[in-house]
Amino acid sequence: MAAISTSTAPAARRKPATNRLLIFGFLSPTLALLLFMVAFPIFSLINYSFYNFSVLRAASGRKWAGFGNYEYLLTDIDLWNRFVFTGKFVLITVALQFLVGIFVALRLEKNFRGRDVLFTLLMMPMMLSPIVVGFLWRYMFNSEWGVVNYLVSVAGFDKLDWLGQTNNALAAVVIADTWMWTPFIILLATAAFRGIPRTIYEAAEVDGAGAAFRFFRLTLPLAAPVLFIALLLRLIDSFKQYDLFFALTGGGPGSSTETVSFALAKTAFSYFYTGEASALAVVLLLIITGLSLILVRHLTRLSARY
Amino acid sequence: MSVAHRTLSTRAANWLLLALLAVYIVYNLGPIFWLVISSMKSRMDLFSMPPKIFFTPDWGGYQSVFGVGVGANSAAAIGVFDSLLNSVLIATVGTAAAVVLGTLAGYVTSRYDFRGKNDFMFFVLSTRMLPPVAVLVFYHIMYAELGLTDTRIGLILIAVFINVGLATWIMKGFFDGVPREVEQIALINGYSRLYAFRKLVLPMVGGGIAATAGFCFIFSWNEFAFASILSTTQAKTLPVKISAASGATGIEWTQICAAGVVLIIPVLIFFYLIRKHLLMGMTFGVLGRR
Amino acid sequence: MTVRALMFGSASALALAVGLTAGGASAQETTLTFIWHAGTCADAIVDIAKDYPNKSVKVVPALVPYGPEWHNKIASEFAIQGDAFDFAMWDSQSTAEFAGGGHAVLLNDVFDKSEYLKADLFPKASLSRYGEYPDDSGKYYGLPVNQDAYGLMYRKDLFEDPKEMAAFKEKYGYDLAPPQTYQQAREIAEFFTRPEAGLYGWGQMGGREYDFATTASNSFLWSFGGELYNPKTFEVKGYLDSPASVDGVQFFVDMFKYGPQGMGNWGWDEVNAAFQQGQLAMAMQWYYFNGSNADPKVSKFADDTGFGILPGAVGRDGKFRRQFSVGGQGMGLNKYSKKLPQLVEFMEWYFQPEQQMRYAKVCQTGLKAVLDDPDWQNLNSYNKSFSQALNYINDYWHLPEYPILLDQLQEEVSNAISGAKTVQQALSDAAAKQEKTLERAGYEIVRGDSTPDVPDAAITPVGTDKVVPVEFD
Repeated sequence: MAAISTSTAPAARRKPATNRLLIFGFLSPTLALLLFMVAFPIFSLINYSFYNFSVLRAASGRKWAGFGNYEYLLTDIDLWNRFVFTGKFVLITVALQFLVGIFVALRLEKNFRGRDVLFTLLMMPMMLSPIVVGFLWRYMFNSEWGVVNYLVSVAGFDKLDWLGQTNNALAAVVIADTWMWTPFIILLATAAFRGIPRTIYEAAEVDGAGAAFRFFRLTLPLAAPVLFIALLLRLIDSFKQYDLFFALTGGGPGSSTETVSFALAKTAFSYFYTGEASALAVVLLLIITGLSLILVRHLTRLSARY
Repeated sequence: MSVAHRTLSTRAANWLLLALLAVYIVYNLGPIFWLVISSMKSRMDLFSMPPKIFFTPDWGGYQSVFGVGVGANSAAAIGVFDSLLNSVLIATVGTAAAVVLGTLAGYVTSRYDFRGKNDFMFFVLSTRMLPPVAVLVFYHIMYAELGLTDTRIGLILIAVFINVGLATWIMKGFFDGVPREVEQIALINGYSRLYAFRKLVLPMVGGGIAATAGFCFIFSWNEFAFASILSTTQAKTLPVKISAASGATGIEWTQICAAGVVLIIPVLIFFYLIRKHLLMGMTFGVLGRR
Repeated sequence: MTVRALMFGSASALALAVGLTAGGASAQETTLTFIWHAGTCADAIVDIAKDYPNKSVKVVPALVPYGPEWHNKIASEFAIQGDAFDFAMWDSQSTAEFAGGGHAVLLNDVFDKSEYLKADLFPKASLSRYGEYPDDSGKYYGLPVNQDAYGLMYRKDLFEDPKEMAAFKEKYGYDLAPPQTYQQAREIAEFFTRPEAGLYGWGQMGGREYDFATTASNSFLWSFGGELYNPKTFEVKGYLDSPASVDGVQFFVDMFKYGPQGMGNWGWDEVNAAFQQGQLAMAMQWYYFNGSNADPKVSKFADDTGFGILPGAVGRDGKFRRQFSVGGQGMGLNKYSKKLPQLVEFMEWYFQPEQQMRYAKVCQTGLKAVLDDPDWQNLNSYNKSFSQALNYINDYWHLPEYPILLDQLQEEVSNAISGAKTVQQALSDAAAKQEKTLERAGYEIVRGDSTPDVPDAAITPVGTDKVVPVEFD
């Protein structure tokens, strides 16, 4: 006893200083890099959002617009429609990815021959370049020579116009996006499930717990921190989805499949309305930040219960 | 419930679950299969109706990607191997840096509470929220000022930047899953915090590190928006180079599919290299198994 | 994988990276970098440039995918006034945007200083189309490097089949032949639309992206006497949605029923693919693709494909007009490039007839000397009709706001195609949006007392009282 207290006493005196050093040392590279990378762009973004300015037509000058850009955006009904559409897309696709991903991760827990190889293969959709994924699904969804419509007709149904009708197009993009990102969830969920020691399950089985009990009372709570982060990251990333919409529909018909990201890309690069695009970016950032904050608070409360 | 009945329903349930898994596997791998065979088709076969599964292979797509055979005259294929090297360099260094930074940051945010911790975590997450298009022009301006346009270092910085937020959050999640007792035991026994971190905690999150590295590699490797604007010739990455596929016949579908296959191979190689860590389980039981 | 190993690995890789970033072109060599989308034309330039006698100059391609990256790459570089490229080929419609922004070199200065490079090397119409800004100012910012026009492809075997000819004559009362008017085209398309047999009468673009739908719809709009706007007064309302314009776009929208189901989303690639598989009896397609459509290795029906000039239409005022979209790219010089003298020297060699004749084998040159040469006329089956076609072309707005106006029109035409809006409503909405864009950009819209039903009559009229047929061989 005495020996231990002697060895802890100097450590206790040492701890605060080394801890602070550790925290600083471990955090500062990340912080420094991020600050360096975002300082100028974010400053420019916010700055230009208050001007009527085009970086391409800089010769026509820079007019102070105050909150004009924001007013214009927030009163634009088309923009709200885009937010609704984006929200629809994000919710559906992330929910699908999450549910399917967890299901698959569970099914692959038990080892069988070739499981590891299968697992790596299943990661492939996520590994593909998003540009290629866009082209691939555009090709597969073509109403004439696409393989999807071929399978549909073989199954006895009429061929669909996948990309020319709004609801079909949304379904098409959801199918493609879910295909591409479910492996993300599978990978994280698997890593999370692997981190749960077998002994806990063994103990539960001895007590006669069924599969459902084991999943909901043991697996899920223990994997919760990682699963929650997976969900959060997917939500944030889905808001940015652009390549698929561009490749499959170009935002059409009309602008019914334009997400906010799409509108932002158009405004920033096709129109080169730098001021307006910056304001839109700020609005988008605030909304995503707000939603993330709500989600984080909600889910930390949830995990605290366990 | 009789024993026989219970077995039957569990067996039926198992078959159902197996069937669902099989459906997913087909959904997941089917399009990949389609990509691969499309990359070997001639343009005529590509659009044939009904779609062909059996056909004579045409390697025009791959030849165009590498600038040999039919693609020997292709200006787009000039420097394809340089871009490959660029991409490998940028993705590897970027991933390594992002993983290291994210692991360190994730550890202290998991273990300590300090003022501004939540702000830090949120700031780090927010770097991932903005679509690159919104700020591309500003990065272009910034890079031009700093002389970073068309440099590998410039793109490495981008690769780290886009991934370190992801890395930090994921690693924090994994560290959260390691009980604090692990370090406490070490500290009580006279070891330093750093030692506990390196020798005890870190191995336990090997799976998390591998997963993070895998994601970071994928995102760095496939990064397109920044790379296409911030590089022109010297530092051009492979995805930017071989996606430039549109020619006299229209969109060069076979070339794009071939490009897709070529692009995925290094990522598969990377995942193969880290596979042991990716699929590892808990080697130290928390309940005293040693 | 210890932390130490990772850190060592990244440190050494970083050193390697830094080492690799140092280095570049050797001291004496000058590189001339150009941006274009990948394709045979870019290949041709690089190939020809290999023979450039001045060996200290190297022409380096920086190719981008066809699509928004092409415009964005150039625009972004201009925006930061950078010199990552020395010259660029951009879509002809972008000349106004880049010239208007002050980023392109005024070629008149080049013409003045150069012994060989002069404006009259190129047909005046071509030079205006691909490089003049503002219209009729005599100031040039781009050279024609790939002329293109919208054209007609058709299945010769179907049109020359005696059984088809007899059946058609019986049903419609005139001889089956490639259409001279859109009204004829509709009847022929109707005749050949047999979905059960996998054949459709007409192929056209309807895609939302870029300029797909409007390239086609504009061809109809102009032929029916419509106009996109009034270039003198900047009025759009009353012109874009004039009765004649609505006639044209309505006709265009109705033609979708003679094509496959997904045609409303098609770009030029799908039109090619469908035609090459034998799905279409006729199609609207860029001359640029005629080469591959005539290639048996690419198209199943290459030997049966005929190429010609798009039809015109008899408008509501009884006049016949034939107008369709111009395409192609112009070459502009980057004002911020530091190698302009060497670039001009290269151009003085590159635009010699010898080089351009080589180029013309795979791409459409703009050099008058080559275009007048009988050898060029006979290079392939469609060059003759191409030079004829250049008499009928019309173009989008030659304004720096072109990308915005284009997107707004594309959106509404796409709405009309999908049936979300009527054609009248779609065009009116587009007109309203475009006027707002113009006002925002500082143009003054001078509203007249009334707007003509057939705007073409008021703006550079091209209507004739009788149908002027073109020959198909």
